[in-house]
Amino acid sequence: MIERFSSGFHPFVLPFLAGMVFVLGYCVYGIVRILFQLTGEDRRRFFLSLVTPRTALKNVKDIFCDCLLHVKLWKRNRMLGFMHSSIAFGWFMIIVLGHVEVMLFLPERIRLFYYPIFFNFFVAETDSTIQGSLLFFLMDFFLLVILIGIALAMVKRVRSRLFGMRRTPRPSLLNQIGLYSLWAIFPLRLLAESFTAHISGGSFLTIPANWVFRQFLGNDLNMLPTWWAYSIALGVFMSVLPFTRYMHIPAEMMLIPMRNAGLKVRNARKGFARVQVYSCPNCGVCIDACPMSVDKANLKDCTVYLTRQMRRGNERRIAEISDKCLLCGKCEAVCQVGVEGPKLRLLNRAERKYAVKADYSGIPAASLAEAAKGGKVLYYGGCMSQLVPSVGRSMESIFRKAGVDYTWMDRDGGVCCGRPMLTAGRLEEARKIVRKNTEVILGSGAETMVVSCPICYKMFTEEYALPGIRVVHYAGYMEELLKEGLLVPSRSDLCYVYHDPCELGRGCGIYEEPRRLLGKLAGIAEAEKNRAESVCCGGSLGSLTLSFAKREKITRAALENLYTSKADAIATACPLCTATFARYADRPVRDLAEIVDRQTVGKLKLETI
Amino acid sequence: MKENVVVIGGGVAGMEAARQLLLLGYNPIVVEQQDHLGGHVAQWNCLFPDMASAGDLVRNLGDGITDANIFLETRVTFVNRLQEGYLVMLSNGVNIACRAILVATGFKLFDAARKEEYGYGVYDHVVTNADLESWFNGNTSDRFPEAPRSIGFVHCVGSRDLKAGNSQCSKVCCITAVKQAIEMKERFPDARVFCFYMDLRLFGKKYEDFYIRAQQEFGIQFIRGRVSEVGETLDGRLQVKAEDTLSGKPLKVQLDLLVLMAGMSCNPDVADLARMARLDIDSDGFLRSRDNLGGINASNRPGIFYAGACTGAKTVPEVLAEARSAALAIHRYMTGR
Amino acid sequence: MTDFGFKLSKSATLDLDKADTGLYERLCSLEPDARICMNCGSCSATCTAAPFSGMSLRKVILGLQRGQDVRPMLQGCMLCGKCSMVCPRGINTRHLLLTLCRIYD
Repeated sequence: MIERFSSGFHPFVLPFLAGMVFVLGYCVYGIVRILFQLTGEDRRRFFLSLVTPRTALKNVKDIFCDCLLHVKLWKRNRMLGFMHSSIAFGWFMIIVLGHVEVMLFLPERIRLFYYPIFFNFFVAETDSTIQGSLLFFLMDFFLLVILIGIALAMVKRVRSRLFGMRRTPRPSLLNQIGLYSLWAIFPLRLLAESFTAHISGGSFLTIPANWVFRQFLGNDLNMLPTWWAYSIALGVFMSVLPFTRYMHIPAEMMLIPMRNAGLKVRNARKGFARVQVYSCPNCGVCIDACPMSVDKANLKDCTVYLTRQMRRGNERRIAEISDKCLLCGKCEAVCQVGVEGPKLRLLNRAERKYAVKADYSGIPAASLAEAAKGGKVLYYGGCMSQLVPSVGRSMESIFRKAGVDYTWMDRDGGVCCGRPMLTAGRLEEARKIVRKNTEVILGSGAETMVVSCPICYKMFTEEYALPGIRVVHYAGYMEELLKEGLLVPSRSDLCYVYHDPCELGRGCGIYEEPRRLLGKLAGIAEAEKNRAESVCCGGSLGSLTLSFAKREKITRAALENLYTSKADAIATACPLCTATFARYADRPVRDLAEIVDRQTVGKLKLETI
Repeated sequence: MKENVVVIGGGVAGMEAARQLLLLGYNPIVVEQQDHLGGHVAQWNCLFPDMASAGDLVRNLGDGITDANIFLETRVTFVNRLQEGYLVMLSNGVNIACRAILVATGFKLFDAARKEEYGYGVYDHVVTNADLESWFNGNTSDRFPEAPRSIGFVHCVGSRDLKAGNSQCSKVCCITAVKQAIEMKERFPDARVFCFYMDLRLFGKKYEDFYIRAQQEFGIQFIRGRVSEVGETLDGRLQVKAEDTLSGKPLKVQLDLLVLMAGMSCNPDVADLARMARLDIDSDGFLRSRDNLGGINASNRPGIFYAGACTGAKTVPEVLAEARSAALAIHRYMTGR
Repeated sequence: MTDFGFKLSKSATLDLDKADTGLYERLCSLEPDARICMNCGSCSATCTAAPFSGMSLRKVILGLQRGQDVRPMLQGCMLCGKCSMVCPRGINTRHLLLTLCRIYD
């Protein structure tokens, strides 16, 4: 391999060079800024994780699997996975192989970072470089892989359903420029390399193409315009990159180490949040997942549009999108890069200032604690349970049947758990409620606290410090009673479909206990979408602005999903879901406690018979 | 040869209309889904404002239509538009060609279990107005305590309630609650009786007299506040929470019996008929009259007429009057006058 | 207010001509549903905060219409959302309360 130009330079590399310098500068600036926005402790933790071998290794593995191979996308849809990984991994391999070529043949040029990209322009093949034929083959092979990926991407633009997507986001103008320049890069590279293949050498793609071109374009002068075009396409792509969704490529490489370092989003606009916003690849998987998108409504309120508006700094839309969301967490569950949509929204809500501050001094925590004394088990039904009286009533019956020494903390009305206040973004007021309840619970002298509402359960397990008290969700608790033989099941012929409440499933990761419990008492069927992909009932307190009429549509769509199971009745483990579904359901909706109470006999009673 | 008129629905509206149609010289064919005539009224004990027997009313109406064709336990399976008139196919295999159809499909009593917070179906002693009438009729049930010390009536259950899918007023519940409260007080003079209302809509003849009697003679307490929750005390009594809006304070009271005044919602079976005959449905789910003043009996299709609660909540006298006017409207249509 | 050592007793009459309903009008412009409250009291009856603080959304809305100070009631709200579940007119009570807490001057 010999160099064709002793200077090692040609002006056509300038567009690429300008784009490259710009994008690198932008990224360095961005990284420094974000690092400065982190709290001191987070920053230390982040740097420490980078030098800890275990996390460092995990970073490399995650970046390789997520950014290049798109493993999660493969699981979602193979076509989608192939399309993304062929472009990302193919491009990565071409860059790596380019560097290998330079290091192998012209190691002194490795410092010019355009060299590996335009290697074939600057060199001429000699007899000694026959060992490079494997590299040439690999180069052509990966170029072909990318070209197939690009072709699929073009098909996806018109027929997204083939890729398992019903709706895709509308790209903005800059995104379109980015998209078309990206599409242009690789065909242009093929053309450019083909024109020079008789000089630089090539493989199965470029050499035959070179032969074809030479049949009617005998003039070597044709090669330069294609190399110029290739360089310009690269330059355009890179100079618009920071303003397009392709920013997710560098941002995700920042996101993965930050996540592995255990960082949490603390501020809606700064630090880790910013990295997440830029990491959103605008793939639009969250549009189909969002329960609000039923009937093509609220399409522009899902996470992909939140990140877009946050990048643009459109405050009006950010507030709108943040407030409307049900916080069901499904977008986060399906997100390929791990953008915490609900968390970002919650923190955006928290930015708001309120003139009237809460004052809960009227809550007599000491006397409430006195009233809650007595039982070893403290039962907390939560506010919503009072609107679904079957829950509390069944729980009492279960406690009595099993001979449990219990006290019902909020039988006659109690203090809210604080989660509704928290999800409204009023964190300080929520803490005030937490303090009140903590006083009551610790003062009750109970050992175990049974909670039947998943909203409260999430709050008690995440935001409360209750030393010496075991907080348990009622599904798990009732399962224990069955296991200990305090309750004896009698199976029902009914078949139930279990609806995973958002706060319990995605919120607390409890999917199996309710199913196991139900399975012991009745038939059980699964809806089309279940577990982590369960559809929100529409009643969620997470949404601040959704009107009653809009919620009705969401509820009906969620019911349709449950009807796919063909079950006789619907079972769920959340009073809010029960009340919401019962409004429109064409079959019975029952809370777990109600079913357990119906289908069990107390051991004590059995013994007396 | 007398001309056929198909009357869909054998409640009081259908019965009265059939009687008038017979008198006008037509051949009314009454199609009733259930095994008896009289609809909801047949299940009732006595009716305001004169405390007349509901059974007597239905019997009298029935006596007037002995010459009519009556198909019980029969449904309309199809309605076909003919050159002139309609072909109505019934579930018993009978096909009827007619120039006019009277729709008197009535209403559906709101399913009180949908208001989860009231605990109907959860607590034994929470019953509906219909359950109470059935009990008045002598159908015993252990859901009614032997000697209730206190009884509550909740107005507007499933009425004026967007969440329950019925934003309209059911018109009859206020006066029915007052009537039933008096009847309960007559049976249990020592019991305290409460009526929880949002607005007392006592608009009809003698209704106000009922109200005054309820206050004066029976000492029934009227509380302006919608009940929001029903709980249970440790000794198994019902505990009702409401706001006493007039004193502006939350209120709770223990009861032995709670009666939910389930309202009138649209008859869901009408949707099929409306589709087959291309009838307009109003925003409240009821059938839409051509207009709500002079054209209350007319539908958007020629030859199809309405009577009674199929177009909205109505009292018995209103339904009877509408049935008669519908018969006349049909007569005018048939004779081209 | 300066303490003169004595107080003028407020008139027991609600003078609608003098009542300042500016806040109510502002609330209605942001939350038009505030106008459709029919004072049924469902929200207040079910309110989690009511037993502790005298909170009553019905009285809050009524108070604003009469130009009264409703802050003491608002401060007790825990935003639990029961009122939005029971409101027969389908008013988004939680957002109404949040807006009111935000715009109160």
